Amino acid sequence: MSTLTLILVVLAIGVVGFVVVRQRAMSSADGDARNLHSLPFYYGSNALIFACVPAFLLMILWLILQPILINNAVSSSIPDSAIAEGGSRGLVMSDVRRVADGLNTAVQEGQMTEEMARDMRVDFTNVRDRLGEVGVALGSNVTETTLNAAQRYRSLDARYGLFMALAVLALAACGVTLAYTQTDRDFRARNTVEATVRVLLIFASTIAILTTVGIIFSLLFETINFFRQYSWTDFFFSTNWSPNFRGNSDLGILPLLWGTLYISFIALLVAVPIGLFAAIYLSEYAGPKLRSVAKPAIEILAGIPTIVYGLFALVTVGPFLRDYFAEPTGFGGSASSVMTAGLVMGIMLIPFVSSLSDDIINAVPQSLRDGSLGLGATQSETIRQVILPAALPGIVGAVLLAASRAIGETMIVVLGAGAAARLSLNPFEAMTTVTVKIVSQLTGDTDFSSPETLVAFALGLTLFVMTLGLNVFALFIVRKYREQYE
Amino acid sequence: MTDATAGAPAGKGSLLEEDKRTKRRNAAEARFKAYGLGAIGIAVTALLLLLGSILLNGLSSFQQAFITIEIPLPADALDQDGDGALDRVTTFTVKPILEQALIARVDELNIRPVDMSDSDIGGIISGEAPATFLDFVRNNEDLIGENAEFNILANGRIDGFLKGRVSMESAARDSNVTQDQLILTNQLIENDVIEQRFNWDFITNPDASENRPEAAGLGVAILGSLYMMIVVLVLALPVGVAASIYLEEFAPKNRFTDIIEVNIANLAAVPSIVYGILGLAIFINFAGLPQSSPLVGGLVLTLMTLPTIIIATRAALKSVPPSIRDAALGVGASKMQTVFHHVLPLAAPGILTGTIIGLAQALGETAPLLLIGMVAFVRDYPELGLEGFTDPATALPVQVYNFTQRADPAFVERASGAIITLLVFLVFMNAVAIFLRRRFERRW
Amino acid sequence: MEDMHVMTSAMSTQNDTKISARNVQVYYADNHAIKDVDVDIQDKTVTAFIGPSGCGKSTFLRCINRMNDTIDVARVEGDILLDGEDIYDRKVDPVQLRAKVGMVFQKPNPFPKSIYDNVAYGPKIHGLAKNKADLDDIVEKALRRGAIWDEVKDRLDAPGTGLSGGQQQRLCIARAIATEPEVLLMDEPCSALDPIATAQVEELIDELRRNYSVVIVTHSMQQAARVSQKTAFFHLGYLVEYDDTDTIFNRPQDNRTESYISGKIG
Repeated sequence: MSTLTLILVVLAIGVVGFVVVRQRAMSSADGDARNLHSLPFYYGSNALIFACVPAFLLMILWLILQPILINNAVSSSIPDSAIAEGGSRGLVMSDVRRVADGLNTAVQEGQMTEEMARDMRVDFTNVRDRLGEVGVALGSNVTETTLNAAQRYRSLDARYGLFMALAVLALAACGVTLAYTQTDRDFRARNTVEATVRVLLIFASTIAILTTVGIIFSLLFETINFFRQYSWTDFFFSTNWSPNFRGNSDLGILPLLWGTLYISFIALLVAVPIGLFAAIYLSEYAGPKLRSVAKPAIEILAGIPTIVYGLFALVTVGPFLRDYFAEPTGFGGSASSVMTAGLVMGIMLIPFVSSLSDDIINAVPQSLRDGSLGLGATQSETIRQVILPAALPGIVGAVLLAASRAIGETMIVVLGAGAAARLSLNPFEAMTTVTVKIVSQLTGDTDFSSPETLVAFALGLTLFVMTLGLNVFALFIVRKYREQYE
Repeated sequence: MTDATAGAPAGKGSLLEEDKRTKRRNAAEARFKAYGLGAIGIAVTALLLLLGSILLNGLSSFQQAFITIEIPLPADALDQDGDGALDRVTTFTVKPILEQALIARVDELNIRPVDMSDSDIGGIISGEAPATFLDFVRNNEDLIGENAEFNILANGRIDGFLKGRVSMESAARDSNVTQDQLILTNQLIENDVIEQRFNWDFITNPDASENRPEAAGLGVAILGSLYMMIVVLVLALPVGVAASIYLEEFAPKNRFTDIIEVNIANLAAVPSIVYGILGLAIFINFAGLPQSSPLVGGLVLTLMTLPTIIIATRAALKSVPPSIRDAALGVGASKMQTVFHHVLPLAAPGILTGTIIGLAQALGETAPLLLIGMVAFVRDYPELGLEGFTDPATALPVQVYNFTQRADPAFVERASGAIITLLVFLVFMNAVAIFLRRRFERRW
Repeated sequence: MEDMHVMTSAMSTQNDTKISARNVQVYYADNHAIKDVDVDIQDKTVTAFIGPSGCGKSTFLRCINRMNDTIDVARVEGDILLDGEDIYDRKVDPVQLRAKVGMVFQKPNPFPKSIYDNVAYGPKIHGLAKNKADLDDIVEKALRRGAIWDEVKDRLDAPGTGLSGGQQQRLCIARAIATEPEVLLMDEPCSALDPIATAQVEELIDELRRNYSVVIVTHSMQQAARVSQKTAFFHLGYLVEYDDTDTIFNRPQDNRTESYISGKIG
C-alpha cells in the first residue's frame, strides 16, 4: 500500500467517523441541537481529529525511523570482507539502495515480476545490464553481497511498510471508536476540538525554531566532520585556497573572506549614499507626483530576482567595465571582477537601503523638524544636523542589514565576480567569495567523505555566523531605535 | 520703523534682501536637493539599463530561423520492412531525407555557391531537426509516400546570422559555420526558404545540448517551477497562517514567543544559500528524498517563504480592529470562533497579497536550488500528477544559470529570453497582488 | 492696498507696531481656516491669542514665521508685515524670516543632542558666533535668559532629552532666544507642563517682554490674563476682538468673547 493511499484511507475513516459521530450526538440530544453542549459540527470534527491526528503522527514517525532501522539492519549484515579496498560501508550501502530502487522500478514498470526480482542471482543474470534497461544506471557491476543485501533491503522495506499500514489503520479506527464512545449530549466537544486546533497552531509557529535548529545542525554536523579531516587553523588562517579533488588541498578561507568583504564594501559604497539620498529626497522633498513614480520604480529593483542582476553583471556591466575602464587603464583584462560584482550588487541593495531608511526617517517625529525649521534652519540643515543624527542608529542598523545581504548574496557573485581565490587590492581583478565556493564545492560530483566537499559546510557555517551576528545586532539596534520614538 | 531695524542685531538687514550667508546656505540647500534627485536618477537609470539590456539581449529568443521546404516522405526509407509500422526508423534514417530535400531545393533554385559541398549545405539544418521531424512523421503516418511541408529548425549560427550575432567576419574565425553557408543563407532568405517565426518551442521545449542552442527551451523549467510553487503554496500558506494566528491572537507574551519572534525576523535575513545547504543535508542526505526533484525544491523554498508570509499575515491580522473581536466575543463566541469566523475572513485579502509576494520571491530564487541538484541537465518533462513532484526537473532561474554556463554566445540570448519569461510571471503575480490590495483594501 | 500700507506705517511709528496683518486668509486645501484677520502686534509686549480649540489661533501664529510653508496644502493670502516689510513677498527667504521670528512649540522638542548643542544650533546655522568663545558666550547668555542656566551649567554635555518637561521647554525657549530673534512666537508652550513648570515658564515670558515682542497662543484664559498685555480672541477662524488684556477680560465688547470668557462656549 503506498503512502498516498494510506493517507487517503485514514482520511476516509476520519470522514466516516465525522458523519457517524455527529449522528450519534444528534440522537443523544433527541434530534434537537439545542440540547447539545456544542454544535453538532464539533462532535463530528472531534471524531475526525481523533482518527487522523494520532494516525498521521505515527506515520510521520514511522517514515522517519523506518529507513534508519532498515539501513542499520542491512548494513550490519554486510560482512567487512565485502567492503572494497578504499571504500566505506556507506558507499556499499548507497549501492545497495540504488539496486533496491532499481529492482522496485523494474517491478513497477512490469519489466520484472516480483518473483524475478526476489530470486535474481548474480551468477545467472547481469544485474547491471538488466537494470540499465529500466533506466537505473549503476557505476559498477553488482556483487553478490550487494544484490543479496538489496533483496534483503526490499523485503524488510515491504514488511515494515505493511506493519506501518496496519498500525496506522488500527490507530485511526481506535480513534474513531474512542470519539464515538465519548460522545453524548454533555460531552464538551468544542473545547476538545479547540484545544487540538490550538496545539496545531503552536506546532506551526515552532516550525520557525525547527528551521533554525535544522540549519544549525546540518551545518554543524558536517563542519565537525570536516575539521576531523582538516585542521581548523589551516582553514581559518591559511591564505591559500586551492582545492584538489585528488586530495592534499589547501582550503584557507582568508582569500574567500577577503573577496566577500571587498565586494560587499564596494556594494555598500554604491548602495548606501544612493539609497540614503533617494530616501531623503523622497520623504522630505519630493512632491506626490514624483513620489508616485520614483518610489515604485525603486521598489521594482527590489522585486527583481538576483539571477537577473547576475546576468546583467555577466553580459553588460562586466564587459563594459573591462573595455572602458580596466583595459585602457591597464588594471586588468577580466570581465568578471570585484568591481563588476560590487557595482551590480550595489544596485540590488539600493531599494533595500532606501526603503529601510525611509521608514526610519519617517519615524523621526515632526516636532523635531518644526523645531529646527522654526529656528530658521534650511531644510537641508534640518536633515543633516537634526534628522540624520536622530535617525543615525536606525540607519546604521539598515546598513548592517544591507551588509549582511551583501555577504550572503550568491548569484551576482557567481556570475560577476569570478572563481579565482585571490588576495589582491585591484578591484578590476576577478576574485571569489564564500558563497561562490559553497556553490562550486556542492554542485557536480560530490563525495560527502572528502574535505573538498565538506569544506562547503564549514564555509556555510562561517557565513551563517557572520550574517546572524550582523542581523541580530542590526535588528536589536533598529528595535531600540523604534522604541525611542514610540 | 527705523528704530526697529536699528535695534536689530548686526547682519539682520531687510527681509527683502537676501544676505550673503543666506545665499550661501540656499546654494547648499540646492546642492543637497540635487544630490537627492541625482540619487533617484541613478536608481531609475540603473533599473532602465537593467531591463533594457535584458530585453535587448533576450527578445530575439522568441523568434527563430526556420527552413521551410517540401519534404518527400519515401515509404521505402521510412517503412523498411513494409509492415506499415515505423518501428525501425531512427533519427539517422531521417537526417539524410532532410538534407537531400534541402540540397534539392538549393539546386532547384540554382543558388549553390561555387564549390560548396552537400554536407555544408546540410550543416545549415539544426542537429535537433531530425528528432523533431521524426516525431512529425510518427504523428502523420498517413503522409508517407507523399510530400509534406515542414519547418526545419535552422542551425544556431544561421539563426544568429539572421539576428545579427554572426557575421561574415566572425564566420571566418568560427569552425562551426562557413562563409559559404552564410552566403547561401542570404540566398535562401531572398527565396523565402529561410525565415524568422515566432518560436513557441522556446517556451515548450526541454533544454538542449551545449551544441544546439537553437533548440533549447524552457518547458521542463517552467513545469518544474510550477510544481515547486504548488508545493510552496500548499505548505507555506496553511503553516504560515496558522503560525501567525497563534503568535498574533493567542500567544502569551513570554520567553518562548519572544524566541519565536526573534527567530522569524532572523530567518527572513538568513542568506538563501544557507537554506540550500539545509535542503541538501536534511531533505536529500538525511531524509533520502530524490535529488533535483520539485518536491525538495519546494520544501526548501517553503522554509524560505514562511517568514515573508508570517510577517505579512501578522500585519493583516493586526489591521483588523479590536472592536470586531470584542463584538464577536461579546455575543458569546469562543476565542477560536472569533478568530476563524470574523478576524481571518477580514484579513484574507492581506494574507493573500503577502502570499503572492512570497511566492514571487520564491519563484525567482536560484542559489538554494543549485545545491539540491536542480542544475542537472534534464530533458524529460516531469510526469503530470503527483509522481511528477519526485521526478527530476529544473526551475526557471536555474535554467538561466545553466544557460550562462555554456560557451556558445547564443545561450546569452536564451538566458535573457528565459529571464523575460520569468519576469512576465513575476509581473503577473505582482499585478494580481496589487489588484487584490486595491480591490479589497479596507480602511477602518 | 496702498491705503493700508500708509495706514500701517503710520501706526507703527505711533504705537511701535512690530507686526501688522491685513486681510489674512488661510486655506488648508478646501478648508478656510483663517478669515479676514487684521491685527497689529506691538513691540516689547506680550500678546495672547485665545479661543476655543480649532478656532485658528495656532494657524495664524504659524503664519507669522511662515511655518505653514512646510505644509503642502496650506495657502496664505493677505499681507503680514514685519517692520513694514511683507513677509510673504516673493523675495523673502523664510529662512531669514525665521531667524527674526523665533518659535517655541506646544510639546518641548529638544533635539537629541547635548544641551549645549541644542542652544548653539541656531547661532551656528546663522553664523552669529565668530569663534568658540563667542559661541560659549551666546549659549550661556541664552541659557541665562531662558532661566535654566543654574540648573544645567554643570552638565552642558548631557543630552537635552534627559531634562524634565519644564526644563526641556525652557531649554527650547533658550534655543529660540539664542538666534537673537525680534519676535518670539509661543504655541501653547505650557500645555504639556505641570503647574510648577508652568509657573517657571510664565515668569520667564514676563522677563522676555523687555527685549522681545512675544506672541503666545494659550488655551488657558488664566494664563492669558497673567502674562499678556494685549489679548486677541479668535472664534471659528475670525478675529473677534483684540484689545488690552484688561479690557478683554473685564469689559469685552463682543458677546461671543463674553460667552467664551465666562465659559459658555469653548
